[in-house]
Amino acid sequence: MVKHLGIVGAGTMGAAIAQLAALAGIDVVLYDINDTVLRQALERLKRSLNKAVEIGELTAEQSTDAFTRIHPRTRLIDLSHSDIVIEAVIEDLRIKKDLFKHLEAGTKPTTILASNTSSLSVTAIASATHRPEKVVGLHFLYPVEIVKIVEVARTEETSEETLQRCRDFLNQLGKTVISVTDSPGFIFNRIVHPFHSEALQILGEHVADAEQIDRIMKSEGGFPFGPFESLDIVGLDVSLNTTKALFESSSGDSRFRPHPIQKRMVESGHLGKKSGRGFYTYEEGKK
Amino acid sequence: MAKKKTRTRRPEVMPRVHQPEKAVVYILGDSPMVEEYIVLCSSHGYAVAYDAEGIGAVDASLARKTAKMPENVSFALELTNIDLEKKRKNLEALDKALPVTTAIVSSSVTVSATEQSSWIHHKSRLVGFCSLPTLSTASLVEVAPTVFSPAETIQVVQRFFKSVGKEIELVQDRVGMVFPRIVCQIINEAAFVLQEEVASPQDIDLAMKLGANFPFGPIEWADKLGMQQVYAVLSALHRDLGEERYRISPLLRQMALSGSWWKRM
Repeated sequence: MVKHLGIVGAGTMGAAIAQLAALAGIDVVLYDINDTVLRQALERLKRSLNKAVEIGELTAEQSTDAFTRIHPRTRLIDLSHSDIVIEAVIEDLRIKKDLFKHLEAGTKPTTILASNTSSLSVTAIASATHRPEKVVGLHFLYPVEIVKIVEVARTEETSEETLQRCRDFLNQLGKTVISVTDSPGFIFNRIVHPFHSEALQILGEHVADAEQIDRIMKSEGGFPFGPFESLDIVGLDVSLNTTKALFESSSGDSRFRPHPIQKRMVESGHLGKKSGRGFYTYEEGKK
Repeated sequence: MAKKKTRTRRPEVMPRVHQPEKAVVYILGDSPMVEEYIVLCSSHGYAVAYDAEGIGAVDASLARKTAKMPENVSFALELTNIDLEKKRKNLEALDKALPVTTAIVSSSVTVSATEQSSWIHHKSRLVGFCSLPTLSTASLVEVAPTVFSPAETIQVVQRFFKSVGKEIELVQDRVGMVFPRIVCQIINEAAFVLQEEVASPQDIDLAMKLGANFPFGPIEWADKLGMQQVYAVLSALHRDLGEERYRISPLLRQMALSGSWWKRM
């Protein structure tokens, strides 16, 4: 059982994981180097927990309890008692490696050091520590509170004990574990990729237009949404970054080559639903 | 010509065309699409005749098996995706036997309708469409006219699909069309993942269904469509587009050829 969780990075993902864990009764130290980011995260968490009470998902007591379980901190040493530390900082290998070095020094030897990376090599991150058997990838997907799965990425060095503790921890959070080996894109991003990428390819060849392709994938294929509706929701910039990372980490495998249409749309600022225009136009968030 | 002896003892000649109110659909092609289309067409009031090998038991009340082309065929369906030599022979035979005005709707998933029309004399009668196993239950069908298809032929095809409860979506005539191309590339990627032992088949399906809301996991999909059909689509894409991105997972190829799922040694 995980009693103390440490989270590094109070951005969207870090804060969402903190909330999830706090609601599962786990004490969370939420660390960020930047005090302002930390305060904003707490405000967001408070709003989100209050909203859950308003819509009847939580009682006021549950909400308050969860909030008091989240301890904002700006010193790494405050993570020292954590059973698991999850890193959710910017996707930059140098920053992550440096961080893991500090985490190793500042935590007890049994602490599992997990990365929420979706595109970097967990193996490379683990190489910065002297306890690679305790290093693992825990890829939470956005939005954390809704998506049921978490990819647990093991390196050659990750121990079975570490994996078992991670599986138990994710059970505590009510998540379904997807076991993967450390590899580019793990499996989620990698298999979602052709859904978007092949649709772009078909669009680029003028086999059908975006609306037709979406209609076909829904009515013929039974998908709840079409690839272009999906890209608009994910954000074309976010999806392009994921694709670029896949392309790079696979040493340029042509299956993962970013499509020129997507690049051009990102360049022109048509990022999807959030910018009001992607493959569709949106007014007040509606097509 | 009529070799078939009529068993009736009545002296009067019965009309040759039985059930004249029913339009006759003639179906050729791969299993299991032939069975699916027999059910679809007969349940929507068509008299169905078919000729195909390796087909499972078909209820004789639904359709009649005949190697000889029945008369008064108002519509022919050619559903072969795998054996393209056979498909060519089927189309040549249909083209020869059917009146010039009878439309042929032919699966154009693994070979374009335009290429198929080059195999026959009466090119204007042929229109491509997307036929894969289990898709006959979908509410929409992709239809690919060729440069030779006049508006009348497209209308006939549209009316036919409407009569069996389907909307059509007109797409450009390209190998793989839309749905097969996307879903087979998803399955191919999943096969690469399996081959590299990145995750188990169960976790692959679970991840995509729970994580991405796919209606089926890639492995389930491969099972539904049939690995040989998937392989035929991917081979056609690779052949037609000649791009590295359509490289087929060697594991998928083995599974298609051996007809069985991969087991870890």
